[in-house]
Amino acid sequence: MVLRVFRWGPGMRERLQKYWVRARQGMTVLDALVEVQRGPDPTLAFRYACRVGMCGSCGMVINGRERWACRTLLSTLPRGPVTVRPLYNFPLIRDLVVDMAPIKSKMLATKAVFVPGRRATEDGGFAQIGSNSRERRAVDAAVECIGCGMCVSACTMVGHDRRFPGPAALNRVFTLQRDSRDGAHAERSAAMLSEDVLARCHGQANCTDVCPMEISPTDSILALRRRAVLRLFGVSPR
Amino acid sequence: MGSAEAWRDTKTGMWAWLLQRVAAVGLLAVIALHLKNPFLRTVQAALLGLVLLHGVLGIRSIVMDVGLSARWHRLLFLLALLAGVAAFALFWYWRWY
Repeated sequence: MVLRVFRWGPGMRERLQKYWVRARQGMTVLDALVEVQRGPDPTLAFRYACRVGMCGSCGMVINGRERWACRTLLSTLPRGPVTVRPLYNFPLIRDLVVDMAPIKSKMLATKAVFVPGRRATEDGGFAQIGSNSRERRAVDAAVECIGCGMCVSACTMVGHDRRFPGPAALNRVFTLQRDSRDGAHAERSAAMLSEDVLARCHGQANCTDVCPMEISPTDSILALRRRAVLRLFGVSPR
Repeated sequence: MGSAEAWRDTKTGMWAWLLQRVAAVGLLAVIALHLKNPFLRTVQAALLGLVLLHGVLGIRSIVMDVGLSARWHRLLFLLALLAGVAAFALFWYWRWY
């Protein structure tokens, strides 16, 4: 099979380079890339760690769609060349490797970090939230984010407005806004009403379509928006 | 990214978003034509079609805004288009003038 891989490095002209790999049964895109790196082209740069679909390090755009290379079987892709390029909306370091720093900086910018509130240390220890409680069930899926960046890459609004925090950061904000132990709800709510935050999401659900953990950041953003509207009408959301 | 930019797919939600915007812009032109001559059948059909397209896609967005999970967005898109076609047929063939 033919692998067309995006290549670029400082001082180089970007190009799609073709490699021929012998496809075997059960072979993934990551296997094919490793084979290229161990064989004809040791200079090919890409990132991976666990190889079993847990860490999210190998997020790439494969045949035009964000996927993790380690869980994408060549046999599941349409016949013909397989095109691999780095994630969109991240600074490119080299070849398929992007700088993931914007994930963290956007989370800090939206205060998507836990701030202990009064309830956090109730009864001297850390307050417990039951696994079957309504509060926990509301964020069950959303807390599974592994920070792979695929949602950010798929989001057209991140590409359009650099100040838009994007689906990963807003999904994290959602989990914190539903956490009764957190003490920064009001501060975060105010920041959410800025024109570059909740209002910027156009509900295209690209993030939901590509999330490998089957999280729906779109739902998290829409839930934040509903809470913001309730607050505007003086209703305190649950 | 320039020369080596690979093709990327346009996902369903992007089509829904894009179609609604295109319908809105199209409406501006068609309404102007309709005001000029309200009896042109082609303009009437275009006006009805664009209003319905814009409207059903707007309802799809509202349904998700009020809480239907975005996991259903593709089905909603399909239903919205089918509802639009059905409403067009209904209004066009049983119009009262």
